[in-house]
Amino acid sequence: MAEFDAITLATWIAASSRSATPLLLVMLGETLTQRTGVINLGVEGEMLMGACFGFAAGATTGDPLLGLAAGAAAGVVLSTVHAGLVLGARANQIGSGLAVWIIGLGVTSYYGRAFVGGKVDSLRPLGAHFADAPAFIRTILDQVTPTAPLALVLAGVAGVWLYRTRSGLIWRTVGESAEVARALGIRPVSVRLQSILLGGALAGLGGAVLSVDYTQTWAQDITKGKGLVAVGLVIVARWNPYLVIPTALLFGVSETAVLRLQAGGVAISPSLLATTPYLLALVVIILSQSQAWRAGSMPADLTAIFRSSRAAP
Amino acid sequence: MLLELPSKPALSELKRYARRLAPALAMVGIFFLTAAGFFVIIGKPPIATLADMAMFAVGDSYSLSETLVKTTPILLCALATLLPARLGLVSVGADGQLFMGAIFGTAVTLAWRDAPLAILVPAMLAAGIAGGAIWGLVPGFLRGRLDVNETITTLLLNYVAALLVNALVYGPWKDPGNLGWPATIAFPAGSLGTFFGTRVHAGLVFAFVIALVLGVILARSRWGLELAILRGNAKVGRMIGLSFSRQAMVVMALGGAFGGLAGICETAAIQGRLQPGISVGYGLTGFLVAWLAGHNPVIAIPVSFLVGGLIAAGDSLQLFAKVPAASATILQGLLFATALAVGGVSARLRRAHG
Repeated sequence: MAEFDAITLATWIAASSRSATPLLLVMLGETLTQRTGVINLGVEGEMLMGACFGFAAGATTGDPLLGLAAGAAAGVVLSTVHAGLVLGARANQIGSGLAVWIIGLGVTSYYGRAFVGGKVDSLRPLGAHFADAPAFIRTILDQVTPTAPLALVLAGVAGVWLYRTRSGLIWRTVGESAEVARALGIRPVSVRLQSILLGGALAGLGGAVLSVDYTQTWAQDITKGKGLVAVGLVIVARWNPYLVIPTALLFGVSETAVLRLQAGGVAISPSLLATTPYLLALVVIILSQSQAWRAGSMPADLTAIFRSSRAAP
Repeated sequence: MLLELPSKPALSELKRYARRLAPALAMVGIFFLTAAGFFVIIGKPPIATLADMAMFAVGDSYSLSETLVKTTPILLCALATLLPARLGLVSVGADGQLFMGAIFGTAVTLAWRDAPLAILVPAMLAAGIAGGAIWGLVPGFLRGRLDVNETITTLLLNYVAALLVNALVYGPWKDPGNLGWPATIAFPAGSLGTFFGTRVHAGLVFAFVIALVLGVILARSRWGLELAILRGNAKVGRMIGLSFSRQAMVVMALGGAFGGLAGICETAAIQGRLQPGISVGYGLTGFLVAWLAGHNPVIAIPVSFLVGGLIAAGDSLQLFAKVPAASATILQGLLFATALAVGGVSARLRRAHG
């Protein structure tokens, strides 16, 4: 019985981390972007770009790695629109993010039509490389592809970089006060440009992991608000790359639970079950956001964006 | 910050109008250029396609009526966005409010399907309005009382509302006579009237009247000024006894009511039944319109008409010129991006030149 329980646990760990990976990558990118004082709702569109063009590249070349790379590139390309509007024209960040989302939605519905119902190879599970691992570890590795550990490593590296290195300190300074950064000889616009492009790359990669490696399908609007959920959850994770990991995993676990419930034949409408991630996001945001404003963990220049976006036109 | 600076007396009227008009003209010009560029990329003749679009939008009485059909939900969704914006709130929740309005109105219609239209229709509309208002009040309450950002919550609630529609029409509300097609039974025909045999219905009149009344109220009433004060400086507002949190709930619920009205009108008059996909992104389009109109309800009327024409033309282009409907979405995104770029740059120029 103990053996069975351990294997069940391993299956859950594997399934949860797989389903958490796209969200984790998008959240990580948005966290780093917001750390420099830029909010980007357009990650929803950038994720769609990654999912669509990543799938297209993976399906035509037969190489999932190429698909992931193409997805990240597609995310970067769309993120330049946000960079141009926000940094170039100094447009409102919320408005610009929504415009980028609409463009991404339109472009991927347009070019994605040819790939609806297409097939793509996913990456190989890690298990094959670790034949003599213990059963528990082996069960996890048999069901997990390299993207899940890669995402975890990226989050860890981002944390170390942000808090321990000189350039990480520069990014955090720009997010707290562009003015102070300028006085130190840092060019905030250049840092923010880098952070928007990096956010685009991670959103695109997250989208590509979703379509190529996880669901292995492309459908119009496949992300269904995952990018927007990620923007909200950045607040929950307190703009901290390390905290992105448990926050994303929470959603991975809930998605796995919903899938298990459905597979178990529970008589609840699948549409009602599908509301779980949005309601869960609402609840955790409500629980943590009212705290976050007070605790002051939000990058100060970002607070100004939230406040100034109130004077919308 | 609080009040607009009075115009410099030296500046002649004409010059002032030119200054106001220049960004708008620049925006239209740049938008047509980017749209033409987009058509070149997808391999369509740019000038001819743009001319086709204009024809499909307003070229004959049928096209014009279809444009007005699209104008109705877009204008209501724009009002749902711009009223909260007058308090400085960024609500992107019109789509969800539209869905909830459709659900509540449908519930009444299904329960009282045998009642005379004179009773059913007002009850249905009231229910739709209430549904949308509730869906606006939730993020309004969260923002007002708990300081939870309304942009994120309204976006999340959109997905919840759309899924609730699916749960109902695939489940308890599905008409077995539909042979598996997920939709309710048909609404009583002509419940919202039609004009001259087109699909234009009473919803257009509602939207038009609400926009005008709202325009007058915001510009002339004490309440309109209260919103402006609270938006400009909440601290000053508090000192003169205004409550931001109460107003946040009021504007979100009222805005939600407009979105809900859009939903039940669209369901009763255009779709004829509740089914998935009653909104093709009207909420986001309304957000775009509200933005383009500078959050002025009266200006939102012509802007809704123009963007409604863009969408109606997109539908026709798909039918007759094999241009996928997604291109209308792309054009909306480009229009929004252009407006933001021009707005941002012209604000910068104004600052630079005083």
